[in-house]
Amino acid sequence: MKDPDEIRVIESDLEQILYGVMDPEIELNIVDLGLIYLLEYDGLKKVVIKMTFSTPACPLGDAILMNIKQSITNVYPEFEVAIEVVFEPAWNSDMISEKGRMLLGM
Amino acid sequence: MSNLKTGNAPSLSVVVPHFIFSALSFLCLTVFIFLTGTDVLGPYFNSKLLAITHLAVLGWASMLAFGALYQLIPVVFETALYSELLAKITFWIFAIAIFLLVYAFWTSAFGTTLLYASSLMFIALFGFIGNVLLSQRRGKQNIQSRYVVTAILWLLLTALFGLLIAINFRYPFLSQIHLHYLKIHAHLGLVGWFVILIVGVSSSLIPMFLISHSPNEDKLNYAYYLINGGLLLLGLDWLVLQGTMLIPVYWLSISLGIIFYLMFVWEVYKKRLRKELDIGMKHTLISVLSMLLPILLSLTVMLKLDFENSFQLRATTLYGFSIIFGLITPIILSQTYKTLPFIVWLHKYKQLVGKFKTPLPKELYSEWVATLQFYSYNLAVIVLILAITSNNIWMIRLGSCFLLITAVLYNLNVFKIIFHKVKTESIST
Repeated sequence: MKDPDEIRVIESDLEQILYGVMDPEIELNIVDLGLIYLLEYDGLKKVVIKMTFSTPACPLGDAILMNIKQSITNVYPEFEVAIEVVFEPAWNSDMISEKGRMLLGM
Repeated sequence: MSNLKTGNAPSLSVVVPHFIFSALSFLCLTVFIFLTGTDVLGPYFNSKLLAITHLAVLGWASMLAFGALYQLIPVVFETALYSELLAKITFWIFAIAIFLLVYAFWTSAFGTTLLYASSLMFIALFGFIGNVLLSQRRGKQNIQSRYVVTAILWLLLTALFGLLIAINFRYPFLSQIHLHYLKIHAHLGLVGWFVILIVGVSSSLIPMFLISHSPNEDKLNYAYYLINGGLLLLGLDWLVLQGTMLIPVYWLSISLGIIFYLMFVWEVYKKRLRKELDIGMKHTLISVLSMLLPILLSLTVMLKLDFENSFQLRATTLYGFSIIFGLITPIILSQTYKTLPFIVWLHKYKQLVGKFKTPLPKELYSEWVATLQFYSYNLAVIVLILAITSNNIWMIRLGSCFLLITAVLYNLNVFKIIFHKVKTESIST
């Protein structure tokens, strides 16, 4: 079991990894898009992510989930990634970060 | 993740053949128009124009609408397609029926061949409609799904009218001339099937692509009742009363419905987060706006404005042209780039994302070719509208040339997407 400081460092690293996962339609990474609601590392091997999609039946949803899992296990092969997709609260454009808005030309 | 509805997309072998058939039909269609320019300026009940129109609305537009709808069912209904096997069988029956129907019209074989073709067409459409309705039964009920279901019910009526007209050619039993039933058949198809479908599907897709959330759906509801109510009145009036003083009532109802839809799109456009529009969305919005053209043209036809008779005839041709080439064709040309690359990309890269650096869906086609296609198409439409208005055969030939160029460019990109070879680069971690 890692100590709280190490957990924070790894969580920050995991967040950086998620910055590399793009929504292929909107062409913006899923963190700046505001799709990630929760990212937790338990200090052992488990990573829990609670996230949403921009629309409940997002046709690219599976590809995004696969990309998240694969991107994390590329760096931490021993990690087990559990992703929960939720639609409450529903995603809206206010959830896009300032940087994301800039990248979208808003 | 158990309630996740993103894995409902149908397999590639269900959707892609529709796109291939449709793209090739568009190419054939533009060749036919190029070869028979003078017929476009003639009376609209001539065999060549009927062949061209049916190739346009069935081989080109409906074939693609079927494929796109199979793909969009998970998005609009939030459920999987009822039966992939039925979709594949329907495709082949539909394809054979289109060949036969166009051949029957082109060769003026209005007897037995047309009857066989129409019967086969009815079976194919019945299969498609059944598949969509059965999917919808277990899916989400919302305004968009209501539009889609209503559109396919109009399609069923259109096919039924088409079949009755074909039977009447072989075994005459209808009380009025064919032109009378053709008017009803055409309006049920163009407004009931295409316009209602476009309004329903685009009201789901345009906000998604422009990243514009929570538009007021009241306008869509008003549009739904006004367009459908107007069309129902039109059908009953023409069928039972042979066209009466009610014409302005349903013209106003349908026109107001379309204006409410345009107001909805305008709200979505104003609220959009993605300020810069790609070529596909530009073309989509232009085609949505061009819905105003048939409204104005139908007004001139309805009021029988004091023009020479031949202009009335050309205004009618222009009215049909404005729906097929002003609204339906550009929306297909543009939305192909918003659907097909994603369908192919998902199939080829879904298992590779994260493991390798993969291209984006938009990198599966040439943006340059798409831009050229956008300009050549708009040029074609402007020249052809001027040609029909001024009754100028040389301009028809020039416009047909631009249309042919558009079809070649479109086919280049469609086949580039479909035959895309997987490209990956390793990820540096």
